[in-house]
Amino acid sequence: MNRNIPSISKLNNLFLDKELKPSELFEQVYENASFTESILHAHLELFYDEGIENSKKSDERFLKGESLGKLDGIPIAIKDNINVYGYKTTCSSKMLSNYVSPYDATVIGMLKETGSTFTGKTNLDEFAMGSSTENSAYGPTKNPWNPDYVPGGSSGGSAAVVSAGSAVASLGSDTGGSIRQPASFCGVVGFKPTYGTVSRFGLIAFASSLDQIGPITNTVDDARIIFDNIQGYDPKDATSIKPEYTEPKNKKLKIGIIKELMQEGVSEDSQNEVNKVTQLLENSGHEVVETSLPLTEMALSVYYLIAPAECSANLSRFDGVRFGLREPASGSYEMMNKTRAVGFGEEVKKRILLGTYALSAGYFDEYYGRALKVRSKIISDFQKAFDDFDFLISPTTPSPAFKFGEKTENPLEMYLSDLCTIPANLAGLPAISIPTGLSNNNMPLSIQLMGKPCSDYSLLDLAESIEDMVSFNHLPKMTKGDI
Amino acid sequence: MNLKPTIGMETHVELDTESKMFCSCKVVETDEPNISLCPTCLGLPGALPVPNKKAIEYIVMLSLGANCSITKEGMFHRKNYFYPDLPKNYQISQFDFPVGVEGSLEIVIEDSLHTVAIERVHMEEDTGKSIHLGSGRIDSATSTLLDFNRSGVPLVEVVTKPIISSAKMAVAYIEELRQLVIDLGISKGKLEKGNLRFDANISVAEEGSDELGVKVEIKNMNSLKSLEKAIDYEILRQTKMVQDKESIIQETRHWDENKQVTLSMRTKEGSADYRYFSDPDLPNMVINDEFIEISQNQIKETPEKKRKTLLDTGLSLSDSNYLDKGQRWLYELYLSTVKETGDCKSTFNFLTGELQGQMRKAEISELPQWLNSEKLASLINLFENNEVSFTSAKDILAKLLIEDIDPKSFASDNNLIQSSDNDEIKALVTSIINENQDIVERLENPEDKLVGYLVGQVMKSSKSKVNPGSVKEVLLKELFG
Amino acid sequence: MTKDFNIDDISNLASIHLEEKEKLKLQKDLEIVLEHVDALKNIDVKDEKIDIHPLSKVLELREDESTPSLSHKDAMKNSPETKDGHFVVPPSIE
Repeated sequence: MNRNIPSISKLNNLFLDKELKPSELFEQVYENASFTESILHAHLELFYDEGIENSKKSDERFLKGESLGKLDGIPIAIKDNINVYGYKTTCSSKMLSNYVSPYDATVIGMLKETGSTFTGKTNLDEFAMGSSTENSAYGPTKNPWNPDYVPGGSSGGSAAVVSAGSAVASLGSDTGGSIRQPASFCGVVGFKPTYGTVSRFGLIAFASSLDQIGPITNTVDDARIIFDNIQGYDPKDATSIKPEYTEPKNKKLKIGIIKELMQEGVSEDSQNEVNKVTQLLENSGHEVVETSLPLTEMALSVYYLIAPAECSANLSRFDGVRFGLREPASGSYEMMNKTRAVGFGEEVKKRILLGTYALSAGYFDEYYGRALKVRSKIISDFQKAFDDFDFLISPTTPSPAFKFGEKTENPLEMYLSDLCTIPANLAGLPAISIPTGLSNNNMPLSIQLMGKPCSDYSLLDLAESIEDMVSFNHLPKMTKGDI
Repeated sequence: MNLKPTIGMETHVELDTESKMFCSCKVVETDEPNISLCPTCLGLPGALPVPNKKAIEYIVMLSLGANCSITKEGMFHRKNYFYPDLPKNYQISQFDFPVGVEGSLEIVIEDSLHTVAIERVHMEEDTGKSIHLGSGRIDSATSTLLDFNRSGVPLVEVVTKPIISSAKMAVAYIEELRQLVIDLGISKGKLEKGNLRFDANISVAEEGSDELGVKVEIKNMNSLKSLEKAIDYEILRQTKMVQDKESIIQETRHWDENKQVTLSMRTKEGSADYRYFSDPDLPNMVINDEFIEISQNQIKETPEKKRKTLLDTGLSLSDSNYLDKGQRWLYELYLSTVKETGDCKSTFNFLTGELQGQMRKAEISELPQWLNSEKLASLINLFENNEVSFTSAKDILAKLLIEDIDPKSFASDNNLIQSSDNDEIKALVTSIINENQDIVERLENPEDKLVGYLVGQVMKSSKSKVNPGSVKEVLLKELFG
Repeated sequence: MTKDFNIDDISNLASIHLEEKEKLKLQKDLEIVLEHVDALKNIDVKDEKIDIHPLSKVLELREDESTPSLSHKDAMKNSPETKDGHFVVPPSIE
C-alpha cells in the first residue's frame, strides 16, 4: 500500500529498528495537521502538549526495548463524542461548548494502555446526526480530496484527518453508517465492528441499540490492530458481549451481492466498483452470487423511527441543570426549554421531535412499535442470508461525496446517503468500507462488506485480500507528502 | 345515595443495598450533598447503566413474600419526563413486564383478617432531592438546590389493586408491607427516613356500582397518621362533592400537614405522556428458576409466618399482630418465654405492658444480657402462681433490669413470697372484720364495693404478703358463708 | 396521518421551545419523513417478537459492590451554578 503515511505495522518496525522515533512521528503528524487544519477544519481541538509528552514516553520505551505493542507511539484522533478525561467533549454542539469530561470512555482507557498518543478531538455532525458534518455547530469539515465536497458524516473529521495524514488512525462511531460513509467519501478504510464487541461506555449516545465505535484507518491491517486493542467485554456496558469470533467453513468463500443495493437510487459509479471487485473475487476462486434481501428497502424507514426514538430520550439529559449550556430563565422548566432551544441545532431538534412523536401516546404502536418489529424481520432475513453466504457485498454509498449544500434542503435526500450502510446497524453486523476506485470527478469510491455477527476478523481478512487485489493507491489533494 | 370509597396504594420501597441500582456508587445516608456520584447516576453524557444483582434478588424476595408470580422474561423501560432532580430526564423503570404480578398480602384490622390484592411489583431507580429556597412558602421559591446522592438508589414500587375500602385498611396494609420488607431484610423500612413512601388513589362511587368514580391521587403523606387523615379527608371531600352534584376532576393533590387538607397540585399540561419504551441500554432480563430459588432461600421470615407462629401459641389475632409488627427482640423473647410459662396471655401482658413500660421509663433500649426468657418466665410464674404479688413482681423486674438476680431467690430473700396459708389469712381476716364492724354491717352482697376496701385492709395489714385472691375468697366465706 | 402531528404538543413533550419560523420548517421536514416511513404499514408484523438487543443478548447483572465515585469537585465542575455543595437551578415549583 502506497500511502503518504506508512501502515501501523511498518511504523512499529521503524520504531523498533530505531529508524524513527514516536515523538518525530508525532511532530510530523502535528505539522500535517497544522498545515491542513486551516482548510479542512477536521480537528476541533489538538492535544499538542500531552501528545508530545506521551510520544516521548514511547521514545523511552522503545529505547529500553520495553515497547507496549503495535500501537505504542501511534498518534490517533478521537471523534469528539467520545469522552477523554480532562478534555472538552462537545459532540460539535453548542450545548457542550464548555463541557470538560470527568472520565475516560472505556475505549480511551484501553488505548491509553497501548501507549498510543491522541492528536486531538475531531469534528462531527452535532451529536453524530448527519451525513456531511454540515451539522457541526463549529462549522463543517472539508473533504481532503476536494474542499468543495463534504467529507461525509457523522465521523467526517475522523475520516478527513486520516485521509489528510494529520493522524495515523482515528476512532469514529457508526449509528447508520457514520464510520463507513465518511471513510468512503475520504478514500480510507472504515470498520464498524459487531454490535457489542466494542464498549459504548463513554461514547455519547445517539441511538443506543445502533451505536458502535470503530476505527478509521489507511489500511485494513491498521483497522485490525486498532479493533484488536479496543474490542472485548466491558462490565460497564450491559449491551457489551463476550464475542466468540467465527471463521468461514471453507477457504473458497461464497459471497452475496445484495440486489436491492444495486438498483435505481445507487449510482452507476458505485455499482461498477462492486462489479469490479466481484470480478477480482471470482478470479481468485470465490463464488459471488446475487441475492435478494427485500426488506433492505425498509431499512431507512425503520432506522428513521428507531434512531430518533432512542435519541429523543438519550438527549433528554442535556437540560442545563448539571453541566453544559444554561440559558437564563425564571423557572426550571423555562430554563430547560430555552437551553434546549438554543443548545441544539436544527437537525438534532428535528430528530428529537420525530422520536418524541413516534413514542407518544397513541402513536407508539403505529411507529416505534412497528419499526421494532420490522427490524426483527430484517435481522431474521440477514440470519437466513448468512446460512447461504459467508459475506455480503454492496457499495458503501449510493454515490461518491457530494458538494456542500447539495442535500441540505430535503432531509430525505441526505438520509438516503446512508441507504447501504444502515442495514448492518439494524442487524448489529460487522461491516467494512474499503476504497476501490475514483469517480469521474476524482472522488473516492468504495465497496462495503458485511459479515455475520462476530465474523469481524474473517471479514477483515477478506477486506485485506480485496485491498491487495485492487491496490488503491491514489492520494488526496490535501496532504503534505511522505514521511 | 350510599357512597363507598375505593383506594389503591402505590408504595415506593428503598432497598438497603451497598451500591446503587445501575452504578457502583455507595448508597449513603448523609447530609453532605453530592458526594456519592458517578457519570451514570449524575446522568453525564456517555454513561451507561448496569443493574445491581442484589436489588433484583431483593425484588424477587419481595414479590415472593407478597405471593406474586415472577415474570421470567422481563425488561427495563424508560419513563420520560423532565424534572431537574431526575438526571437523565427519564427514569429507568418497568412497564409491561414488572418482576412481580398478581399477588396478595394478608393484613389485620383489629381482630379480623383481610386480604389486599397486589397488582404489580416493579424495579426502578430513585431521583435526587430538591430543596426549594425562598420565603418558606412552596409557591414563592427563589431557587432550587439539588443533591443527587439519592439518585439511582434502588426503589421497588408495589401497587395494589383498587381494593382498599378505608383509611384504617390502608394503614394496616402499609404496616404489613413495611413489616414484610423489614423481615425480609431488604429495606430499613423507616418511614421517617423515606425508606417507604406512599401515594393513595382515591375515588368514591355508589354502593353496588361496578364502576369506580373519578380517581384522585394523593401525595406527600409522610407518616401513617397523615396517611389516615389524608384518606379520611379526601373521602369526605369527594363524598360531599358527589352529594352536591359537583364533578370530581382527575388530578394529583398533596396532603398539607399544617392545614390538614388535601390541596390540588398544579400540573404541567401534557406531562402525563411518559413515552415508555424498552431501554436500549439494557438487554432483556431473564429471571430463571435457579435465581428464584436463590432468592426464595434467602427468605427467613415474613410477617404472615410470624403471625401464624404467634397464633399457634394461643394468642389472639390482634395480640399476635401487635407482636408481629413490634420489635424483633420482643417477638423472639415472647416466643421463648411463652414456651416456659405456657401462658400466652399473661406472658404477652407482662412483656408488652410491664417490661416495655419499665424499659421505656428507664430509657433502656436493649435488654440486659442476663435478662433471658428463663428469668422472665420464672418471674411470670411467681405472680401467676400467686407466690408474689403483682407489685412485688414489678419490683423484681425493676431490679432485674439493673442487676443479674434470680427472681425466685430474690423474692424469698426479700420476704416477698406471699402466704397462701389459709390459717394465717383467716386470722388476718378475722381481725380486720372485728376492727371494721361498722362497715361489715353496711355490706349488702358479695359484689359490694366495700368488699374491695376490706380486702385492701387485709393486704395492708399483711404488708402485701398474702395473695389478694385468697384473701377475698376467705373474706367472702366469713361474711356470706 | 400527518394531520395529527401537532408540533406544539411535541415540542412541549420534548421540552424544546420553538420559534414560529422554526416550526414551519420543522413541520415540513417531519411531514416528509413521516410520509416516507408510512411504507412500513404494508409489512406484516403480526407474530414478530421484539428484542431490544440486536444480537438478543440476555442481561447480565452486577454484583452489589461499591467502588469510589467521582470526587465532589469533579462531579460539580461542569455545573452552571452551585451553592453549598449543591447544584442550583431556578425554582422548579411553579
